[in-house]
Amino acid sequence: MFDLSTNALFMMLLTGLQMGSIYVLIALGLTLIFGTLGVVNFAHGALYLVAIYLAVSINDAMGFGFALILVPAILFVLGVAMERGLIQYFYNRPHTDQILVTFGLAIVIQEVLKWFFGANNIPFAIPSWGNGIIMMHEWFPFLEGFVVYPKWRLILVVVSIITVAAVFALLHLTTFGLVIRAGMRDPEMLQFLGVNINRRFMIVFGLGSLIAGVAGVFGGPVTQVSPEVGMHLLVPSFLVVVIGGMGSLSGAVLAGVLIGMAQSFTAHDINLSTIIVYLITVIVLLVRPRGLLGAKGVFE
Amino acid sequence: MTDVKSDKSNKSASGWSRRDVLKASSVGAAGAAAPMFFTKNAWADGHESIGNYPVKGSEVVFGFNVPQTGAYADEGADELRAYKLAVKHLNNGGGMLDTLKPSMLSGNGVLGKKVAYVTGDTQTNADASRTSARRMIERDKVIMVTGGSSSGIAIAQQYLCNELGIIFMCGLTHSNDTTGKDKQRYGFRHFFNAHMTGKALAPVLSKEYGKDRRAFHLTADYSWGHTQQQSMQEFTEKEGWGTAGNIMTPLKTTDFSQYLAQVMNSDADVLVLNHYGANMVNSLTNAVNFGMRDMQKNGKNLEIVVPLYSRLMAKGAGSANIDGVLGTSGWNWALQDAGSQVFVDAFVAEYGFPPSQAAHTCYVQTLLYANACEMAGSFYPPAVIKALEDFEFDGAGNGSTLYRGADHQCIKSMLVMKGKSPSARSSDFDYLEVVQEVDRATANYDPSIFPGELGPYKPA
Repeated sequence: MFDLSTNALFMMLLTGLQMGSIYVLIALGLTLIFGTLGVVNFAHGALYLVAIYLAVSINDAMGFGFALILVPAILFVLGVAMERGLIQYFYNRPHTDQILVTFGLAIVIQEVLKWFFGANNIPFAIPSWGNGIIMMHEWFPFLEGFVVYPKWRLILVVVSIITVAAVFALLHLTTFGLVIRAGMRDPEMLQFLGVNINRRFMIVFGLGSLIAGVAGVFGGPVTQVSPEVGMHLLVPSFLVVVIGGMGSLSGAVLAGVLIGMAQSFTAHDINLSTIIVYLITVIVLLVRPRGLLGAKGVFE
Repeated sequence: MTDVKSDKSNKSASGWSRRDVLKASSVGAAGAAAPMFFTKNAWADGHESIGNYPVKGSEVVFGFNVPQTGAYADEGADELRAYKLAVKHLNNGGGMLDTLKPSMLSGNGVLGKKVAYVTGDTQTNADASRTSARRMIERDKVIMVTGGSSSGIAIAQQYLCNELGIIFMCGLTHSNDTTGKDKQRYGFRHFFNAHMTGKALAPVLSKEYGKDRRAFHLTADYSWGHTQQQSMQEFTEKEGWGTAGNIMTPLKTTDFSQYLAQVMNSDADVLVLNHYGANMVNSLTNAVNFGMRDMQKNGKNLEIVVPLYSRLMAKGAGSANIDGVLGTSGWNWALQDAGSQVFVDAFVAEYGFPPSQAAHTCYVQTLLYANACEMAGSFYPPAVIKALEDFEFDGAGNGSTLYRGADHQCIKSMLVMKGKSPSARSSDFDYLEVVQEVDRATANYDPSIFPGELGPYKPA
């Protein structure tokens, strides 16, 4: 059943990369929020859910361009409102309280969306410029015969790479990013130095939501638009954060791709594909308890 | 002392006086009757108590246990609409009460009792469905449970109901196991099954796509998916097709790209999606995105087959994606027979849109149970079961139908369907066209091909 031909390996690599892209986009927001605020945000999957429903609605009503601009902006505002209205009251509470409140919030959001939109899938029309397939054999001469891949899924991979680059640039090339990274290390010291770290944390929460918005706009046609999608993606995305190292952006990227690849290469065997993510988690945590790229001193 | 002895010596030769005989008789009679005095409701209708029989009061309660949340929630919502309509018709007349033959239903409740109902949410989850059914049985004292929308859940409820002496009228369940290896004396299925789908669909596929084909199956990893895949493989191979592969996919999968990549790497020129509900919508949409509907393999067009179709699924996938895709259905609202038409008219009048096949099977099941109670003259479960077994009826939307006693499977006609193109659709409910009405004789099969026993009429 397991095919090791060049074409098969290429397709599995590409599929793994594409699956990893979705995990990376969701895990990026999660790890950013966890890394800076120390909040285990189980409602992050629900933010993605809000994003895909907003995206499909705006796309149908006004076109994809509006969805691309409006959805991340709305998600940013929603994230800020969520942080100010709820999350900030749980900063100094135990992680179990944070998990309970954000998990509860996720269920409420999911059920409200189901109430409005129904439980069935809503078709997400891909814009005409993203529709169709790419003839991969024309780009990669080593492929034999006819090998194609959906254009939209390749766009998703590119969007994921751009988003990761943008977040890295923001954190490593700007003063804002410098303060955030310092806040991740020692928020108390930063406050002693007179930096209003809470205001920046609020923006970081909004930023994490914004990335979920980007993920929703481009990921909706791939993951489909139905109420279960958020919860379905939440667990592997959390595992990506854990495997990569809590709060490590580069770790999340590495782990996201790793999980995507693992699922792609084990797809032929349901028993193996069901456990592979958890198997990798166990092995990584045994060998590197901080995760693949988890930094010493951060959230220990 | 002597006198006394003397008195006692007046007894008969056997040593028993008339008074002793009378005393012993009354004690014996009281003793013989005692088990019945102390057995709850032992005298009702002359039958012993089973499950929630006997029914007390002026109402009889039915339990409608459907998925109100989870992957099949929309189908569950339509089932619930049908159940409520069935109760309305049982209490007030109308609908299929006018077409079902033979029928003892008068539109005045069942056995003189008004029909009431309680609802439960199976959450498309076997454990939740069992909890909900148990609550209905133990707290709400329902005489019958019905529902489903997933074979795993229907089978779980069927086992529970059988154990508790409550008749379970299956809703939408298509696995061979429901009336095969997991059949139960207290479970009855009106809907058709995966074996019947394979038997009816394979010849049509062979005619449409030729005999030299290789199929790759993507299969939902639970009871229904497994039996659907086995039946499709069995009957397509009988038509001369080969099987290139089969991958089990988790029920909650929303992105099927990793599985589709495997299909594209194979030499298959037909993709069989043994998926239902949201699963099928997502896998088909993904396959279309991968360009599989425009692809050629082995010099032939790559074809996609969806063995079990529903209107709700077709709508979810979009008519552009299902255009020309073949599958089967148990019933369709466009059928012109009298039973289908009265049901569709009543449903449209009540809710403003036509019913799904899930709604149809649930509605019919409720009426059939009620009619069986009338035929039995009692709610006593073994009598109702006997009334349902080998019951021949007509006027319920599938022509002449047999509720086969050997496995509690309805043997009736079914439909091979094809997805309509967007331009061929006449309304927002018109997604599928009937390619062929497969008659009862063709759909029929020997029940002994599947293992399992119905078990006793009285639960242990």
